[in-house]
Amino acid sequence: MPYLYGDPIKCTGCRICELYCALFHERALNPKKARLRVVRAEPAIDKPVACHQCADPPCAKVCPADAITRSIKLDLVTVDLTKCMGCGACVEACPFGAIWLHLESKKAIKCDLCKVCVPRCPTGALSVATSEKIADQKRLDLVNRWKPVMLECVQTPR
Amino acid sequence: MFKYCGYAGQVLEVDLTRLKAIPKPLDAVLVRGYLGGAGFCSRVLYDEIGPRTRPLGPENVLIIATGPLTGTLFPQASRHVVAAKSPLTDIWGEAHAAGHWGAELKFAGFDAIIVRGRSPKPVYLWIDDGRVEIRSARGLWGKDVYEADEMLREEVGDGWCTKMLYIGQAGENLVRFAAVMNDLDRAAARTGMGAVMGSKRLKAIAVRGSKDIPIADDRGYMELMDELRVKMLADPFTQGRADYGTPSLVELMNEIGRLPTRNYETGVFEHAEEIGGKLIRRKYLVKPRADFACLQRCGRYTCVPAGPYAYIGGSPEYETLSCVGSKCGISNVESILYAHHLCNRYGIDTCSLGGTIAWAMECYERGILTDEETGGIELKFGNHEAMVKLVGMIAFREGFGDLLAEGSYRAAQKIGRGSKKYVMAIKKQEIAGQDGRAQKSMGLGNATAARGADHLYAFPVLDEVGFEKAIKERFGARYLPEIGEKLNPRYKGLMVKECEDFAVVVESVGVCKYGTMIPPTFYYRDVLRALNATTGMGLTERELRRTGERIVNLNRMFNVRHGIRRRDDTLPERLLKEPSPEGPPKGHVVELDYMLDEYYRLRGWDPKTGLPAPKKLRALGLDFTIKHLPKRGRPSR
Repeated sequence: MPYLYGDPIKCTGCRICELYCALFHERALNPKKARLRVVRAEPAIDKPVACHQCADPPCAKVCPADAITRSIKLDLVTVDLTKCMGCGACVEACPFGAIWLHLESKKAIKCDLCKVCVPRCPTGALSVATSEKIADQKRLDLVNRWKPVMLECVQTPR
Repeated sequence: MFKYCGYAGQVLEVDLTRLKAIPKPLDAVLVRGYLGGAGFCSRVLYDEIGPRTRPLGPENVLIIATGPLTGTLFPQASRHVVAAKSPLTDIWGEAHAAGHWGAELKFAGFDAIIVRGRSPKPVYLWIDDGRVEIRSARGLWGKDVYEADEMLREEVGDGWCTKMLYIGQAGENLVRFAAVMNDLDRAAARTGMGAVMGSKRLKAIAVRGSKDIPIADDRGYMELMDELRVKMLADPFTQGRADYGTPSLVELMNEIGRLPTRNYETGVFEHAEEIGGKLIRRKYLVKPRADFACLQRCGRYTCVPAGPYAYIGGSPEYETLSCVGSKCGISNVESILYAHHLCNRYGIDTCSLGGTIAWAMECYERGILTDEETGGIELKFGNHEAMVKLVGMIAFREGFGDLLAEGSYRAAQKIGRGSKKYVMAIKKQEIAGQDGRAQKSMGLGNATAARGADHLYAFPVLDEVGFEKAIKERFGARYLPEIGEKLNPRYKGLMVKECEDFAVVVESVGVCKYGTMIPPTFYYRDVLRALNATTGMGLTERELRRTGERIVNLNRMFNVRHGIRRRDDTLPERLLKEPSPEGPPKGHVVELDYMLDEYYRLRGWDPKTGLPAPKKLRALGLDFTIKHLPKRGRPSR
């Protein structure tokens, strides 16, 4: 299940992704209309947040209009805007704050994995990742951290 | 809807005496001629204030303005300008900052805020998506920037989305080089704009917005921005900036003998590596943090984890490291980092602070200042404990700090005894980390800048490390190689004039000088394409160049009304008469008169007086300023 992952170590908080997202989806420069948000917190934390495209999405479970579904074909969680009634139940249910109501239309908006932002991030902080990929990377990071200690314990050619 | 896209279309006019804030439509004719940002301020202030205005009186007008590209996708489009008559220089005052505040102001529906009058009690402005409130700042007054930020967030009831602009205690206490801070660590630092804000008893402006910035050419826009982004990221300079920020300039400047050391005694600091970019990156860097739409990310966070100088926050730039560090002979890097952090908290310009302390140190070492006057502080070069202590004393105007809070020029006037000779200021403002003897264009640029000593008004950096290609593009191949030689005064008048004209355009559209001046990635053509695609103004390159010249001339006329002439476009005696003692510029002084002659000739200003010719003013559409030329300079009828 791929989703838009934002690396808080690489992200510098410039918010270019928000601008491109709003521009692509709405033809307007307005970060508040973006489908992802960069949270800037002090000190020195910048984290892009977008929909995780959950396997068993809580937003879909609570939607009284059944507007949110997980599409198996697209491998995505989608919102049917004709059904959405703008109640905001999904906003309450999402543990990430990755879905919210559009400022003007008041319908639920979320990352649709269009990938416009990904190649445009100046630091490569955004990627379309799967849980396997991320776990793989974490395992590698762990091993790299332990490398000096591990090397002490094994026979290496001298 | 405003006539041009890219603008929010409204100006917020605040009268603090009557505690009224009224949104007014932006003047379309004015922005056509002056773009926005620095240009907007230059025209509004010229019309509203003059020689009789007291900089700290209620009659001074404080403007905070964005440009048409602020908040857009143009690389580094994050800038706003703060302008007023300066309490430090008593002439034209302006300071610029990046961050996220300027962009947020536009999303909230305003291009600029004009503040007049003086509030009876401390207040702050709360701008929530077009709605404006003037609120009491009773609990905030007396708090530093970090504390105020936290308290304000609680008061307006919004977590991280609201952007803040504020002054610290230095602004409240009318320190003449107090800064206007925003987003914690961003400073519109120079010319004492924080003191003007403090004199109006305006503590802060909190902004939150969710409005669109409209785009004129919404079809071609994304493609154009993609092109500019790729061009910016492809520049080899960008990665270096991202890795080290400006602190790496310490090593570079030291190598070319341009790192002011011990109040400009020399341009080579024996401890440069101990306060340089490499060390800071290795030992103290937390991460680079970018301002709005910034690809260069020279801003960064640093942390000193323990000891007397422990903190976490924004990192100093090159200017701070040289002004507070080498200029004061200080090699203890943690003390410089901490002093910078304190300056951010109290809201102080680190350039003027360092310059003033360095002056005091030289006076102390020469016996002009005594222990009695300094209150027992041993002000020797390299005494970092004294330096850090003085930061607080200046911000709160305690003891000896009260004298230094006036800036080195005024302090020297007060104590006399030949201390004036060691003031390294131009038009009463301290020079930043720039020694003109090692780079002649910088010497000239500092002398001619409208806001007093200032390396950024012209920012002539193309001769610094050999940008031959850009020099060829911008000025023409026939001036090479002389124009590219930093120790050669030839053609530097041309360079400074052209750089000034372009720099004010950059500051008027609301983008950063990184990416436009250095690295010289974007010039008129790219800025023009972005400007036209965003605003739909349909400007030509000729018009844009003329706009730059118009703004520079209008700033000059503002200063002419305040008595500024050629005699004021000068440098401290030390840079003109004492040859640089070591390094590449050994034996060099600044050949100022030679360069000034060329500069005035190209500007169309009188070479004897430095007054703009009426013909020039008329050609630039500045007819309304001619009546302010002194009688002898006026045309005979």
